[in-house]
Amino acid sequence: MRPHAGAALSRRRFLSLSAGGAAAGAATLSGCAMQVSGAVSGSGETVTVMAKADDLSVDLIKQAQKDIGVKINTVLYSTSKLIAMMTNGNPPDLVRGVGAVDAPYFAARGVMEDLDPYFAKSGVLKVDDLDPVNDLWRYDGRTQGRGPRYGMAKDFSQDSMFWYNTGLFDEADVEYPPELEPVTYEEWLDKAKRLTRRKNGQTTVFGGSYNGVGTPSLLASLTVAAGGNLFTDDYSRVDFTAPEARKALGWYIDYCRTKVGPSIIQPDPNTWDGPTFQANRLGMSNSGYWLGGLINADKKLAPLSRLAPAPYFEGGRRVSPCQAGTGFWIPSKSHHKDAAWRVFEWFFGEAPAKARASGGWGIPTLKSLRPLMPAQEDYQKRVLRVQEDELKHYSVIAFTPYASADSLLALFNQIAPAAMNGQMSVDALARRLNSAMNEQLKRGKEQVG
Amino acid sequence: MTVDQIPSVVERGGPASAAGRVPSRPRTSIATRRHRAFYMFASPWIIGFVLLTIAPMAYALWLSFTTFDGISPNWHYVGFGNYRELFSDAQTWQSLGRTGLFAITSVPLSIVAGLGLAVLVNRPLKARGLFRTLLYLPAVVPPVGAGIAFKQLFDQNSGAANGVLNIFGIDALGWLADPYARYVLIMSVLWTAGNIMIISLAGLQDVPRELLEAARIDGASAWRSFRSITVPLLSPVLLFQTVTGVIASVQTIMPLLLAPDPTPAGITALPQSNYLYMMHVFAEYFAFGRYGYASALLWVLFVLILVATGLIFKATSGVVFYNVDPEAKK
Repeated sequence: MRPHAGAALSRRRFLSLSAGGAAAGAATLSGCAMQVSGAVSGSGETVTVMAKADDLSVDLIKQAQKDIGVKINTVLYSTSKLIAMMTNGNPPDLVRGVGAVDAPYFAARGVMEDLDPYFAKSGVLKVDDLDPVNDLWRYDGRTQGRGPRYGMAKDFSQDSMFWYNTGLFDEADVEYPPELEPVTYEEWLDKAKRLTRRKNGQTTVFGGSYNGVGTPSLLASLTVAAGGNLFTDDYSRVDFTAPEARKALGWYIDYCRTKVGPSIIQPDPNTWDGPTFQANRLGMSNSGYWLGGLINADKKLAPLSRLAPAPYFEGGRRVSPCQAGTGFWIPSKSHHKDAAWRVFEWFFGEAPAKARASGGWGIPTLKSLRPLMPAQEDYQKRVLRVQEDELKHYSVIAFTPYASADSLLALFNQIAPAAMNGQMSVDALARRLNSAMNEQLKRGKEQVG
Repeated sequence: MTVDQIPSVVERGGPASAAGRVPSRPRTSIATRRHRAFYMFASPWIIGFVLLTIAPMAYALWLSFTTFDGISPNWHYVGFGNYRELFSDAQTWQSLGRTGLFAITSVPLSIVAGLGLAVLVNRPLKARGLFRTLLYLPAVVPPVGAGIAFKQLFDQNSGAANGVLNIFGIDALGWLADPYARYVLIMSVLWTAGNIMIISLAGLQDVPRELLEAARIDGASAWRSFRSITVPLLSPVLLFQTVTGVIASVQTIMPLLLAPDPTPAGITALPQSNYLYMMHVFAEYFAFGRYGYASALLWVLFVLILVATGLIFKATSGVVFYNVDPEAKK
């Protein structure tokens, strides 16, 4: 019997109407999910951002709400928390990441959203305007630096460059490095030894610190500078016994063994170079342009500090890669991709990006923002001249997708101290690293499939 | 109010129901009401225990039979593969050996230190309360804060410890590297001896004064009284401290807090002497992403702790003195 108008709904009819409504709702929602944002979509939504405390200040979060109408909830960055959130199907909408090592790792596991359609429609982030460093966030299923974009760097530095303190060079009567021409790694180490001062078993002045952003990407960069590649062509193995990788490894172990700077056998309690450099206790710091943010703020230190090009190995290549390219990516299972993209656009292309560019804590990742880099003082102009020249030598050094940088670093830390303390030869270390790291890479390759 | 004092259903019904004017529900026995009351009061703990202990343990047990790494799509079941690998992993055995050595060293030292402090502050001293507070204070410092303080104190190039050595013309030592790192770790454990002091102090105040006075009248020395009266009466407290101390030392994460780089990748840079079993577990979970293998390591540790606890109870069954009031049994 057909129910007449105004009659109470039967249970069966109620259920069928509900099912229809749910289906229509689901279709609408999925349509929304597939839609790529315009400039104002995402307004009024809440976006969860997994970041470190200094990535997004409270003021910046308030500014986001004011500028784009998106409320930001932050979750402190932690890999284990990220895995937990992704496992329970409720990932953050934007996640901090180190493009140089995280992009291939997460992209190969299919958890990152392909952002090419978003870039194609964006009025703020134009592909032509993107600095080549953003290629660190590309991965084509085999090689980093090609294929779809999965994220973007917030700013960057060429992390094989180094700063030096002219005051300490003068005190030790050590000649300055040339302004635009690189020194060799051997010359760098020789200067570091001559700059080091020790008293009563304590180091009062460290000659130089050279640890890169993380040892695995440092070793990959050093190997390329020596003329080779740390990873095999398919990125499934490392070979430290190859002459170029052996040369790079040998140099780094020499650096650690001579104790001219911090390393895992002589850790810096500050865990980074800034405070030691600022205290005039570090002759050279292997930090890129970003350390200028700290140096520019110290009126005594700034005139004494200079930036130098990335060293090279005799007979190798002059390369000056970025070992970090820290930025954000959107998980493929994010529930608020449009709103996340709106925050992404705002963070990388609008007011926060402009503020970062003029702060000196890194090179902007949009070419159009480069004129904002600090260049008021003479020392800033000198730094900028060196930096602009160095950009010519930038290249992406692809990292393996089969192991996290943390896992390779942990293996290095486990095995290498014996060599640094002189209890193991570099050749034996190279063989042991090959064995341990290749086992880890093999497991990762099986997991990725 | 005790459970026995909870009013019965009939009593709570009031005089009307007692008079039979309202149909009464079936009478509930006292035993059933006691059971209900017990479960009602215990249920928050039971629910918490099931959700936060049993469920994670069961999940970890399941993970221990897989190659799960938290993120990769192709993880699979490997049966006892992780357990087999564990027995051939040199790091597992070496870290377990170091952990055993650490427990054997640190537990007796901290008990002796805590008991010694308790005996001192149990004496009639001036400002006794102040001393008790000062000695207990380090135990309430959060371990993270203590770890940072220890790292700064023992840093080779800027630490106060080497500053003191330099005053005496002694060259600076690398305290946070081998072979000294293990001593710094033990010092960090002794730093919290105030916890043991407080429990021992409570035990000492429970020792009947008349026994000590009788011993003194009989001519026993202070040491003899302590050895023959105080220690036996404190033995349940000492057993408790031994068992909890062993469990805590096996599970300690203090080396992580003393690590120059307390991150998943940095943990493996710890001096070998401080690379204890839990550090190995931490590295396998968070540096190598081997959730399955690390879960197997934790399950083995759980079984080992159970065995160790059983052995301690067995070994001490003849020497622990329980002061039971014979009247209470009647």
